[in-house]
Amino acid sequence: MENTSSDIRQLNEKIHQASAFVDLLTMELGKVIVGQRYMVERLLIGLLAQGHVLLEGVPGLAKTLSIKSLSSAINAKFSRIQFTPDLLPADVIGTMIYNQQKNEFVVRRGPIFANFILADEINRAPAKVQSALLEAMQERQITIGDTTFKLDEPFLVLATQNPIEQEGTYTLPEAQVDRFMLKVVIGYPTKEEEKQIIRQNLNPELSAPIRPIIHPSDILEARKLVREVYMDEKIEKYILDIVFATRNPEEYKLNKLKPLIAYGGSPRASINLAWAAKAYAFMKRRGYVIPEDVRNICFDVMRHRVGLTYEAEAENVTSENILSEILNAVEVP
Amino acid sequence: MYKQEVIRRIFLCCILGLLFPFSLLAQQAVDVTAKADTNSIRIGEQIKLQLTATLTAQQFKDANFKVLFPVLPDSLDHFEVVTRSNLDTLVNQDQHILHQTFTLTSFDSGHWEIPPMRFEVFSGANATPDSAITLPIGVDVNTVAVDTTKAFKPIKEIKGVAWSIWDYWLYIVIGAAAVLIIGGLIWYLRTRKKPEPVIKTPTVSPYEIAIQELKALKEEKVWQQGDIKQYYTRLTDILRTYFEHQFSIAALEQTSEELLQNIKPVTKLNQQRDKLRSLLAIADLAKFAKLQPTADEHQECMQKAEEILEWTKPKTGAAEETGTDATLEKA
Repeated sequence: MENTSSDIRQLNEKIHQASAFVDLLTMELGKVIVGQRYMVERLLIGLLAQGHVLLEGVPGLAKTLSIKSLSSAINAKFSRIQFTPDLLPADVIGTMIYNQQKNEFVVRRGPIFANFILADEINRAPAKVQSALLEAMQERQITIGDTTFKLDEPFLVLATQNPIEQEGTYTLPEAQVDRFMLKVVIGYPTKEEEKQIIRQNLNPELSAPIRPIIHPSDILEARKLVREVYMDEKIEKYILDIVFATRNPEEYKLNKLKPLIAYGGSPRASINLAWAAKAYAFMKRRGYVIPEDVRNICFDVMRHRVGLTYEAEAENVTSENILSEILNAVEVP
Repeated sequence: MYKQEVIRRIFLCCILGLLFPFSLLAQQAVDVTAKADTNSIRIGEQIKLQLTATLTAQQFKDANFKVLFPVLPDSLDHFEVVTRSNLDTLVNQDQHILHQTFTLTSFDSGHWEIPPMRFEVFSGANATPDSAITLPIGVDVNTVAVDTTKAFKPIKEIKGVAWSIWDYWLYIVIGAAAVLIIGGLIWYLRTRKKPEPVIKTPTVSPYEIAIQELKALKEEKVWQQGDIKQYYTRLTDILRTYFEHQFSIAALEQTSEELLQNIKPVTKLNQQRDKLRSLLAIADLAKFAKLQPTADEHQECMQKAEEILEWTKPKTGAAEETGTDATLEKA
C-alpha cells in the first residue's frame, strides 16, 4: 500500500507520542547504569527490531546489569546462562525428566524460557550448545521431546564475547554470527563515569531501584509501529549500495578494498540494516528513516558480516576500517 | 792330446774360481741396499723406505751396464705404498749412487717384513741379465695403547672452522651487485621525469555551474509539475556538488548533519549555516518523508540556495584556481 503525505504525517505524530517511553526507559536505566548509553541504545534497537545483540567487551562493563535492569524496567522475565565447555543443549533449552509420582516424563524448561537472556561468554560452549541457542533465537520456538513451545515475546538474547581470552574457546562460525542483528563493541567508561560508578557502588542506598516503566505488551505494540516507519525508496537504495559495496567494492570505485574482503554482507545484512534503521528512527521519534539513521547503526549491523582476508589481517585492517571507506564512498541520497 | 789340454784348462779355471770367486764377478757386482727410517711404527704411521744401488765409475760409464730398480706395486703384503720419488743419482768420489725413496704405511698391527727387493742388472756386450737382491726389513706395527681402567671419555666436540671472509666473497659480490642494481633502479624511478598531467583550461567555475543549474531547475518548473521529491533532490545535489568541487568537501557522500558540521570553516556566520540547515531539513522531509512543502517554501528554499552560493562564492582570482581543481576532479 502506497503511503501518502498525510499518512506519514499522522504516523509521525503517532510515533512521536508512542516512542516517549524510550526516553523514560533510558532515564530509568540511567539510575543504575552509569555511562554505556550506547550499549543501552543498541539493546533497545534490538528489542524494537526483533533482533539479537552480540556484545564484545572486556568483563566488568555492566553487561549483566544493563540487561537485567532493562528486564526489570519492562517488567519482563530475565535469565542468565553462563556458557562453559561442559554445558549441554539440555542445560539451555530444557529436557524431559521422569516423574515417579505420576509415572511419566514431564518437561523441565530450560533458562531460555524468558524474555531477556544473557548468554554470557557464548564462545566458551561447544558448537552444539551454540547451535541450540541460535536455533531458538531464529525460530523463536523450542522443541523438547514431541512438544514444541513458543518462546514468550519479547524475546531478546544478549550474547557476550570476551575479545582478549581466545584460548579454549569455540569461535562462532560466520553463519551463526550472521544471526545476530547487531554486534556491539563496548569500551571502558570515562574517568568521570567511573568515579560515579565507584560512588554508586560504595553507597548503594543512594541509587534507587529500577521501577517497571512499561509492560512487555507495550514493546509488542511499539514493534508494530516500528514496522510501519516509512522507508523511502532512496533509503532502500542507499542500504543496498552499502551492502553491495561490501560484496563488489570495485563497482563503487573501491578497488583497493577488493583484496581485503573475503566475503560481503548477506541479504540478512540488508534486512537487518533496514530493520535497525527503522527502530533507530522510532527511537528518535520520527515516522520516517533518514540516511543518518542508516549510517548510525551501519557499523553495528555490518561489522560481523564483512569477512576479512589474511591480507587484511596482516595489514591490521579491521572491518570498521572497510566500512568507513565504504560509507565515505557511497553517495548519500 | 788336445783333449787333455782342454781338461787341464777347465780344471785350472775351477781351481781359480774356487780360490778367487769375487775377482771373477768383479765386472758385474752392484751393491744394492734397502733401508727403512724406522723399524717400529704406530698403525697408520709412515715409513720411508730408501732403495740404493751403488755403481763404480767404470760401471756407470759402461754403456752396456744397466741397473733396473724394482717396480713396487701399490700394495705389498701388509704395507701400502703412499708415495714414490723419482730415481736420483749421487756422485761420491769414484762411486755413483742411484737411489729411490718410497713412503709406506701399514694398517695391520703386528710384526711384518718388507720383502726383499730385486734389482735387475744387465752387463756385457750381450746385456747378460743378473739380479741383486736386498735383505728383508722387519717392521713392528703397533696399535694405540688404550688404558681400559679409565672411564670412557665423551665424544669430542666438532671443531668449527675459523670464519674467513674469503669463503663468502662470491656471495658478497653478488649481494653488493644486487644492492647496487636495486639502488640504481630506485634512484632512476625517483629521478626520472614524470609526464606532467594535462591541465585543461577551466571554462566554467563550480559557482557558475551551480548558478546555471539552479536557473535550469527554476526554468524547468519541476515543483510546479508536482514532482516535489525530484525538485528537492536536484536542489540539494546542486549544492552538494558545488561544495564538493569548490571546497573539496565530500558533500555527496555525507548526510545533512555531517555536511553541516564540515561546512563550518566555509560558512563564517551562524546565519548562513542556519539557512543551510533549514533548507536541508525541508529537503530531507520532502525526499524521505513525502512532505509536501508549500509553494512559498519551494521558492524560499531556492532563494536560500542562491544566497548560500552567493555567500560562499570565492573571490574572482581564487574562483579560477578552484575552478581548475573542479574541472580536474570532474575529469
